[in-house]
Amino acid sequence: MLIEIQDVYKIYGEGTEAEVRALDGVTLSIDRGEFVAVVGQSGSGKSTLMNILGCLDIPTRGAYRIDGQDVNDLTDAQLSHIRNKQVGFIFQSYNLIQSLTAYENVELPLIYQNVPLFRRRELVMDAMERVGVADRWKHHPSEMSGGQQQRVAIARAISTRPPIIMADEPTGALDSHTGKEVLHFLQELNREGSTVILITHDNAIAATARRVVRISDGKIFEDYEQEVDWL
Amino acid sequence: MKLGQAFKMALKSIGNNMGRSFLTMLGIIIGVASVMTIVSVMMAQNREIMKQFEAMGTNRLEVYAYLYNGSSVFDDLYDYCLYLNEYVQGVTPQGYLNATVTYGDKNSSSMEYTPQLYLGSDQYSAVNNFQIAQGRDLSKIDIDNYNNVCVMGARAARNFFDFIDPVGQEVRVNGIPFTVIGVYQEKDPNNDYSMDNMILFPYTAARALGQSVDMSQVYVKCRDSQSLKQAKAMIEGFLTDICGDPNDYTNQKGYFYTYSNDEYTDSLNEQSKAMSMVLGGIAAISLLVGGIGIMNIMLVTVTERTKEIGIRRAIGAQRKSIVAQFLIESGTICGIGGIFGILLGTVFTMLGGKLILHFDEILWPSVGITLGAVLFSVFLGILFGMYPAIKASGLQPVVALRAE
Repeated sequence: MLIEIQDVYKIYGEGTEAEVRALDGVTLSIDRGEFVAVVGQSGSGKSTLMNILGCLDIPTRGAYRIDGQDVNDLTDAQLSHIRNKQVGFIFQSYNLIQSLTAYENVELPLIYQNVPLFRRRELVMDAMERVGVADRWKHHPSEMSGGQQQRVAIARAISTRPPIIMADEPTGALDSHTGKEVLHFLQELNREGSTVILITHDNAIAATARRVVRISDGKIFEDYEQEVDWL
Repeated sequence: MKLGQAFKMALKSIGNNMGRSFLTMLGIIIGVASVMTIVSVMMAQNREIMKQFEAMGTNRLEVYAYLYNGSSVFDDLYDYCLYLNEYVQGVTPQGYLNATVTYGDKNSSSMEYTPQLYLGSDQYSAVNNFQIAQGRDLSKIDIDNYNNVCVMGARAARNFFDFIDPVGQEVRVNGIPFTVIGVYQEKDPNNDYSMDNMILFPYTAARALGQSVDMSQVYVKCRDSQSLKQAKAMIEGFLTDICGDPNDYTNQKGYFYTYSNDEYTDSLNEQSKAMSMVLGGIAAISLLVGGIGIMNIMLVTVTERTKEIGIRRAIGAQRKSIVAQFLIESGTICGIGGIFGILLGTVFTMLGGKLILHFDEILWPSVGITLGAVLFSVFLGILFGMYPAIKASGLQPVVALRAE
């Protein structure tokens, strides 16, 4: 198993009256090469789940193993290493650094990997060409449309060729046409072998995934495979 | 991440945030420059005042004594001071000559700054802190032989002779020829009403000019402040014997008093210390204001930077990479600001020396203050520049990402 979480809790304000159980005993395993849609309403805990799966957050309780390693035992450097090499993130709000150009944004994870300059240039331009924003490499995020910014963000996520792609409502801020392109792209990555975890509230978007995990009130209540709606 | 990359990243970030970088630098530039200027100019001013006092002669006792029968006490006092040589370095009458000195078409009474004409003994220079620069000083023989000679202060010599060597030249005093035998070193170059604008004649030479000399004023130079006290007590005792008790109004013999400007120098020292503290306080405040400026700029950008740090963490930056980048970034900004601050402060200090203190030579800023001001502002800048990095890099990446 690539990703294995067992009985994971994320509780805010535990023991107080305002206690919120964002994750309430979640157990989930995801294998290499899967395309999983985590579906739930706003506040269901789906984003919290992704943050924990992506090592952006730590669970209050519970075991998490990624690639056989127990995340609870890892140091900051090792967690950073996982975020850097194993996972590519795509966020609803793109999360590009405004003061950097598209090229520099895509280059950033490679810098943290100590990839040498020439190799970096190759990887950055490859990734940007793949998502079709290579001609925008000099532009700052503020000079691009939402769709272009999301493509740059995708290029950043895939520039390190990570085995896992995590996308949190990647189409949430896009029009339906651009959204479709992004989803198509995720399917393509999956076909090439990447494990894709897609977080969404939209069943139509979830239809692009082979496996659907439905979550509500911090608990998984459905986990099934379906016919894929290939885009 | 390698250090070179951290440097590149920091420089890129400075370049991409020109406005913020510049405002931060401005805080440092103004803080450093103002503190440097205020303190340096103030210190120079104090130095100058103390130098003037020292040039006039420290540890100098002024004695004023006369007898009602008109005879001079100077010879007795002179002998007594020789006897006190454990405490006393020199003794001279301090007389003033009222005459016109001419050389060619130069005339002392038509000069812009009229030179002072003094009458003194061979120890005049020792008492008044003059040092001979050219030729020779007055000697005991000049005094004893009523020689028609004089020694000039540096500025008086310049006024009369320009580029001619004054030594051996003949000036006329009320028409009577006097030979210039020497020139004193300049000791007060920044002042038009200078102590160097003087000509010294042997007090005995006044006779040749048909003037009687008032010998009642005598300057006694003591070895140090301790011997000044001793000498003062002993001279007062000695003069009481000759002139009688000055406080006794039935005393028919004479009168005397003594004065030393060391008491005045002491109080001046106190004053200048108080002044230093006030101005130092102002300087400290301006540094603090500069520091607060830096702090504000840095804190205003914390949220923006927190988000950036969250993004960097999400794509795999280690905590130490973030901290290194911010450390280099704020260090570079503050370093550049510090350098510009030093440059500006140096220019201001030079201008202050010229325009406020009217110095002839260039006034350089004090090294200690400069270093202190730069270190303080750079410290503040780095501290507050690092603040978002230290704080945000300790958060879970997801928390930092949520900053809006």
